[in-house]
Order: sequence, then structure tokens, then C-alpha cells
Amino acid sequence: MKSIFKGILGAIIGFVVGAGGLSLIRLATGLEPWKREPGIVIGYLFALTGWLLGVGVWDYWARGWFGLPVRKYEVTGWRRYFNFDPDHKVIGIQYLVTLVVMMLIAGLFAMVMRAELMNPGRDFLDPKEYNNIMSLHGMFMIMVAVTVISGAFGNYMVPLLIGAEDMAFPRLNALSYWLTPVVPILLLTSLAFQGWDSGWTGYAPLSVTNESGQIFYNLGFMTLGLSGILGAVNFLTTIIALRAPGMTWGRLPIFVWSIFSTAILSLLATNFVFVVLLLVLLDRIAGMGFFDAARGGNPILYQHLFWFYSHPAVYVMALPGFGAALEVIPHFSRKPLFAYRWAVAGFLGIVILSFTVWAHHMFTSGMSENPLPFMVTTELISIPTGFIFLAALGTIWLGRLWLKTPMLFGLAVIFNFLIGGITGIYLADVPVDLQLQDTFWVVAHFHYTIVSTQIFGLMTAIYYWFPKFTGRMYDERLGKLHFWWMFITFNTTFTPMFWLGIQGMNRRVAQYLPEFGDLNRWVSLSAFLMGASFLVFLYNLVYSWARGPQAESNPWKARTLEWQTSSPPPHENFPREPEVIGDPYDYGVPGSVHALIPVSGGSTDGDVVATSVALYPND
Amino acid sequence: MKRDFFFAGLLWIVLTFAGITLVSQINLFPLSAAHEADIIDEAFLFLTLLGVPVFAFVLVGLIYSVIRFRQPGEMPEDGPPIRTSRPVTWAWLGITSALAVFIIFNPGLKGIRELTANREPDLVVQVEMRKWNWTFSYPQYGVAVVDAQELVLPVDRHIRFEVTSTDIIHSFWIPAFRMKVDAVPGQINILYATPTETGSFEDDINLRAQCAELCGTGHPRMRAGLRILESAEFEAWVAGQAAGSP
Amino acid sequence: MNTASLQHKRYSRLNINRLGLWLFILSESGIFAALLFTRFYLLGLERASDLNQTIGLIITSILLISSLTAYRAESAIAHEDRETFLRSILVTILLGAAFLIGVGIEWSQAFVHFPPSGLFGTVFFTMTGMHAFHVLTGLILLALLYSNGRREAYSVEDHWGPEAVVKYWHFVDVVWVFFYPALYLVS
Repeated sequence: MKSIFKGILGAIIGFVVGAGGLSLIRLATGLEPWKREPGIVIGYLFALTGWLLGVGVWDYWARGWFGLPVRKYEVTGWRRYFNFDPDHKVIGIQYLVTLVVMMLIAGLFAMVMRAELMNPGRDFLDPKEYNNIMSLHGMFMIMVAVTVISGAFGNYMVPLLIGAEDMAFPRLNALSYWLTPVVPILLLTSLAFQGWDSGWTGYAPLSVTNESGQIFYNLGFMTLGLSGILGAVNFLTTIIALRAPGMTWGRLPIFVWSIFSTAILSLLATNFVFVVLLLVLLDRIAGMGFFDAARGGNPILYQHLFWFYSHPAVYVMALPGFGAALEVIPHFSRKPLFAYRWAVAGFLGIVILSFTVWAHHMFTSGMSENPLPFMVTTELISIPTGFIFLAALGTIWLGRLWLKTPMLFGLAVIFNFLIGGITGIYLADVPVDLQLQDTFWVVAHFHYTIVSTQIFGLMTAIYYWFPKFTGRMYDERLGKLHFWWMFITFNTTFTPMFWLGIQGMNRRVAQYLPEFGDLNRWVSLSAFLMGASFLVFLYNLVYSWARGPQAESNPWKARTLEWQTSSPPPHENFPREPEVIGDPYDYGVPGSVHALIPVSGGSTDGDVVATSVALYPND
Repeated sequence: MKRDFFFAGLLWIVLTFAGITLVSQINLFPLSAAHEADIIDEAFLFLTLLGVPVFAFVLVGLIYSVIRFRQPGEMPEDGPPIRTSRPVTWAWLGITSALAVFIIFNPGLKGIRELTANREPDLVVQVEMRKWNWTFSYPQYGVAVVDAQELVLPVDRHIRFEVTSTDIIHSFWIPAFRMKVDAVPGQINILYATPTETGSFEDDINLRAQCAELCGTGHPRMRAGLRILESAEFEAWVAGQAAGSP
Repeated sequence: MNTASLQHKRYSRLNINRLGLWLFILSESGIFAALLFTRFYLLGLERASDLNQTIGLIITSILLISSLTAYRAESAIAHEDRETFLRSILVTILLGAAFLIGVGIEWSQAFVHFPPSGLFGTVFFTMTGMHAFHVLTGLILLALLYSNGRREAYSVEDHWGPEAVVKYWHFVDVVWVFFYPALYLVS
């Protein structure tokens, strides 16, 4: 906790230095000393630096750059979770808890929105307040969706799955994490400055001309981007360089492949959104004119740069969810992952194609570019996505399905994304998109893609790995109750929105025509029920984490490496480095072994270490 | 195993048939009041008919497997070690690719070609959007309706909308025409439509011009009724407007 | 299976660091690619005619030379030549600072000819500003190298710090190789 206080102190000092310094410069050049937006932006830059230095970067890292002795990290026990801890398992839990809390807050925002939408007219929010809540819901959820699976389970599980001790850059990993709590705080601070009403997309020129709350969105998104890039560097390096001997690319668990693909996207695309958010800030605080048509600027530029990141970002959200589902399905079908190579090709194909589809968000924007190529690439991206379905269906077909909670959620990812994918085809079709763009069809479609992959995927991952990261077992009955409750209410909430979209209800409105009233009331009630399902989840998570029965180290009898060590794993993950000698999913293949893990105490002088422990061999 | 393929296949055919019947029985669309709207509805319907078998296929794969292959109780034995199947994967690739390429041409390219076929307008309507109001001008008649509550159009004339904005991005959308285009400051975006029905917002809510791009506080209320008149009525209305304005 | 194969590591710590740095640089180039896209998207092939070409040429040359001195520093420390290392780092810092001063002079003139409120000014100040910011961070890192170098913190075996900073410095140079023609030469 001390480091958090030091971080806050650092942030305050930083803000004073930054904003104060700017004021002094302005005073010296004869301007009025305090101007709100430049002051906040510059102050924030220094405050963020101060926060990071205070929270641990200085003590455990940066002192070395100045020739000072680096503090030894000696925190133990629960305090590690509130410190600049370099252990990937601690960081994974930090991400998980932070983002699940964010998800629940964002869910509450959604409940507020649906409450307002119960009736066509104004109930208790004016349109401005509604837009603020809608923007907060959007950006919170975007942050959850791009971060939660890779942040929590990517960090926790990837080193385990590939047989590594930790991530490639543990301190950088801690730094990536400690950037994330800043973002929701920033976004909520916007409410003190009339909020921001431009949604998670923040289109210019609206975002250049609205209230000062806007800059907190820009700064928050940029901070999130920085964290994502550093995380991506870490994941890619880890997966490329730290695989255990024998863990060839062809034996990599599919979840690792999904994180690898995601990291490529984050690495290459994020800086484009970073730039466009910066340009908006420059328009606001430095009087520039990127998006001011009167001065020759072009509002369409915003959309090009924004979607060049934000479309790949959709796959940043989707791929880890696919990865979690495909990881779970073979273990619970007791069958090899069908067409493993095709699934991998699907991930990589999506990575490549997703850089070529961005303007399909702009068919109605009046962009000067021809929409045709974007329609073509968008419809082609259904082919690699299809491989994911092929792998899932091929695995469960003729399998021995063990329908535990994680398996149910994994199958729900596939089912829900099927609807998300098919309805996306309509939006990719230029003529049909002219009607459906900016209607509730779009709202339904992207909730079906993103909630299905990222939130259902998150649930898959949480239930599947719960015994691993807590050492305890969740309550199976409550898990199943949560699944059916959430699965049914999710579908009854979002399916009617497709109909609303076809019937001509536009999105992002606090008030709407009375003709849409009945269906909206249904959607709202269903949404409340869906929100309530998370209470079951929360209870199960918290209670089982604290009081659940002790879990065996490998309750699912799964073959992959993370299950071959104790739960939760020791600091160094494995007693000695594992040696991978076979495929991870070869259930039912006679004599197949995924890996050998030598027990500790083997001789070091070249003798054979013959014992492999805790494996699940097939005889 | 053969039995499984047979029953699943049968289920797929039944579901597909039921789905297609359902789709063609219910009326998916609200009022259509333009020639272009029919093209777009047709594309929508076509995609739906194509989507039904795809949806049914995956659905059957999931549901049949879950029901047929589920193992109650404790951890089951390992299943058959099927890693992949060359014919299945290549057939999958072939069929999904063929479907993807097919829909690019139809309804994609076909629809775009039909929508852009006729570029010779009978009437030009300039739409200027701003927070949170509309100006509709008819340059051929020298008429401009400022802060308009209503957009008046003649039936059966090919209309070119020239849409722009004076402040931030809005979007000009007529649900009954199934088309929208953004109003972007500094540029004029074009939309073509040929109204085929007369009527007004009071008759059907889809006869309206609606802002479809988030534009701040007034966004939800930024709409104008649409009144489509017979040609003669329209001429009379325009003449009245011209006389009314100084 | 024997212990030798268990301890087998294909990537040394140094190579892991290198990989991470290259990935970071790859990501960072996105910033500059986005700015170049912005520049051509908004302005096409136009540029302001009253740019000070002389200053542009001078600062470009300065920056390119600084890359050579940085390279010299890196190879010096790899051969345990501490004196050359320190001297080259110092020269690189001075050249970098001269570059920034040159940009400052250019800016003071540009404010008059094409202020940031106009379109070319908007693009010009943003691109040069973003690049100058990277030069500035590079200078801070070089200064750290210099002070650590004086304390003999680097050796033949362990000079990842200098290697990383010099690579970053080259990257900043390469960016300018793209920015300079995009801002000064295209027409």
C-alpha cells in the first residue's frame, strides 16, 4: 500500500510541476497564466510520470539508470498485489481484479442507460447526461475488452503454458499494469468537467468542440494504448524467446497463439489511435486545425486513423476470447483440437486481413476512397474466422463432452459469435450498410461479437483456470446457474435490438420514437436480468476464492503445462524447466506425452533426469 | 458415426427449410418508399436466406454434439484421437471461400451498381445540417427552407441530395429510403433516391429525415418529417414557398 | 534427455532485450507513419514555399552525422575504449542539441510564415514537434549514458545500455530521413 501512496504523492507533485511550470512559461510570455485544457494535459503528463516513478519504477528500476543501487523487492503475502510486483502471476491477478471491477462498473452504466431507455421520452437523464453515461459505458467496456483476457490470463497463463519462469520483461510488465488503474480514474474525472459526450469513438469535430471532459477520454485512451503496446512487446518477446525446449510453434497451445496474434495487432496498430487522439488534443489546446474544415482540415482523417487502430482492436478483443474457447474445448471434449494448424492459420489470417478493412466503418461517411476494396476484404475475413468454427465443431464432433461450466461458456462463445459474425456480413455489404449503419443493428452486432468473445471468453477462462490461480474450486452448481442465466438473458437482450435496427431505430439516443417503446421496455427488463446474473458470478468468485474447497492441481486432467504444477504455482512456476516432447491436445493418442517435468534435485552433471511428474499420460 | 452424420444432416435440412420458410413468411421490413429501398431490402433478404443454412449448420453442429456426445457424471474417457481431416478442412475452405466471394458479387457489387446506375437527377435538394437543425434548399426553384420541420419531396423523380454540415458531423438518413450519408463540414456528400410512394411522417414514422451520427445534446431530437407529394402538389408547394420568401 | 538439453536456451538475455527493443521501435514507427499519412492526406503534395531550406539542410546533416558519432561510441565501448566512447557520446549530445536549436530557429521563423493555426503550420509543427520530442528523449538517454560511462558502468561484456540508446538514436535519425523530404522537398 505504501507504494500506492508514494505513487499518488508522485502524481500530485508531477501535476504541480507540470501545470505550474506551464503557467510560469505562459506568465513569462505574457499570456494569462492558467488555461484549463493545456494545464491539465501538461500537468497530466508529469503526473503520470510521477505516479509511475512513485509506485515503484524509481525504487526498483530507474535508480539503476542513475547509478544508484536498485532497491531489492522484498514484499511478500497479500501486499504484493498492491505493489510494483514483477511476478507475472501477481500481475495477472491485478489485471483480473481491476478489470472485473471495471466491467461491473461499466455494467452499472449500462443499467442506467437501459433504465432511461425504458420509455421513449425523458425519464431521469437529459440527453447530455445520457451521452456522458453512454460514453463512459463504451470506453470502460472497450478497455475491459481489449485488456482483460490478455492482461489477466495472458499474463498469468502464457508463461505457464509455454513452460517459462516469467515474462521476458517482468518490470516492464508491472509498469504496463500500473498504467491501467489510471485510465478509469481519468475517465471518471471527466464528469467533473461536464463529461464527454462523443462516445468511445470520439469523432472529430464533435470531440474538438465539446466540453473539457473530452480531454480525459483522449488522455485515458492514450494511456491505455501505451500500456497495451508495452504489454504487446512483452508478450511477443516472451512467446518468441522463452518457450521451453521442445515447445515448437506447432506445439504451442492455441490460447498462446491467440495472445500472440493479439499482441501483433496491438503492437502495430495502437500508435495510430495514439496519434489521432493527440491530434484532437492539439486542435483543442494548441489551436491547430487538423479537423477544422474552415481551415482546410478534414474530419474524415479522424475516422481513417481511428479505425486503422480500432478495427484491429476489435480482433484484439475477439482473438483472446476465441483462444480461451478453443483452449477449453479440446480438454472438455477429450479429443485433440481439430485442424490445429487451420485454427492457427485462422488467427494469423485475421491478423493480416484486419489491417485492410478499417474503412468498412465509413461506408456512409462520404469518404473519397472507393468502398469496394474494403467490402471485399471485410467479407474475405470471414474465411479465416471460419477456421475457428471449423476447429471448434470438429473438436466436439464425436468427442466425449464434459459439460462443466468453462465448457459451456466456451461453446457459448462459438454460438454467440456465430450470430455476431453473420450479422456482420450485412454491415460489410455496402448497400445494406447504408440502412443499418448507426442503427441498433450495429449495437446488437458488436455486442454479439465483443461480449460473446471477450466477456463469455473471460468467463470461460475464469472458470477454467479458477482452480489454478486460486488453488480452490468454484461452485459448479452456481457456475452452471450463472451460465444459463447469463446466456439466456444475453440473447433475449440483444436479439431484439436487431429488429429495432431493421425497423429504423438509430443508436446513441436518450429519447426515441414512441413506436419503439414496447420492444425497448423488453430489452431493458431483459438487460436488468442479465445484469443480475453477474451477482451470481460475483458471489461464486468471491466466496469460492475465499472459502471454496481445495482444488487438486489438475482437476480437469488436462495435458497442458500449467496443470502440471501446483495450484497456485510456485514463484518459479516449475521445479525445473519442462521439456516438451509432444502435442498439447493429443487426447486419446496412445502413448502421447506433452511434456516431461523433471522433479527437483536431479543431478546437474549430465546424468539423465528420468522422472516426470504429475503428468497426464495416455496409456 | 455414419448415423450421426445422417441425423445431423437431416436436422440441418429441416432447420434450414424451417428457417427459410419463416424468413419468407414474416415481413422483415418497414415501409419502403423509394426505388433504392427495394434494392437494399432485396440484398438484405438475400443475405438472410443465405445466412439461414450457415447458421443452421453451426447450430446443428453445436446442439447435436452437445446432446449426443455429452457424458454425464465424472470425467469421461478420452475420445477418438482425430486430429484433422484433409477432405473436411479443404471442403470447409472451399465452401466458405465460395460463399464469401459469392456475396461480394451478389448482393455487394450488384447492389452498388444498381444504386449508382442513374446519375442524372431530375431534382437537386441541398441538405445543410447543423446543431440541431436542417436547411433544405431547392436550387432549381430558388427556394430554401431554413430551420425546417419538414422535408418535402415529389414522388417519382430522381433526386440528388447534396448533404453538408456547417459545424460537426451529422448524418442524413431517411429510413423509408434505407439510405443515409454523413453530413461532413467542408464537403458535400451525395445521395440519390427516387421516391415511389406519397405520404408523410404522420402516416408512417419511417417517412422522416433523421440525424444518425452522434452530434451532442440535441442528437436524439434532430429529425424532420418527410412529406412526399404528387408532382403537381409539389410544384404548388414550391411555388408557395417561393412566393412566401422575400 | 539430459541436463544439457534442459538448460538449453536459444535466446540469451541480450538477445531477448534486443528483440524487445526492435519490437518497440516497430511499434513506435506507427506514430511516424500515422503522421506521414496525415501529412499527405491533408496536403497532398503541397508544401509551404517559405520554408527555410538552408536550416533544413543543415539540421538534417547534423542529425545524420550524429548517427555516425553514436555508432562510433557503441563500437568503442564494445572494444573497451572508454575514452572514445565518452567523447563520441558527448559529440552526439552536442550535435543533437544543435539539431534542436536548429529546429527552434526554424520554428521561430515558421511562426511568422505559416503559424500552427493554418493547415501547413498544423502539419509542420506537429511532425517536427513529435520528432523533436523523440530527439529530446534521446538526448536525455545519451546524457544518462555519459554520466554512467564516466562511472565506468559499461564494459565489453555488458553494454546493453549504450547499444539500446544508440539503436534508438539511429531510429530517430531514420525517421527524420522520411520526414525531411516529406516536409521540405516534396512538391
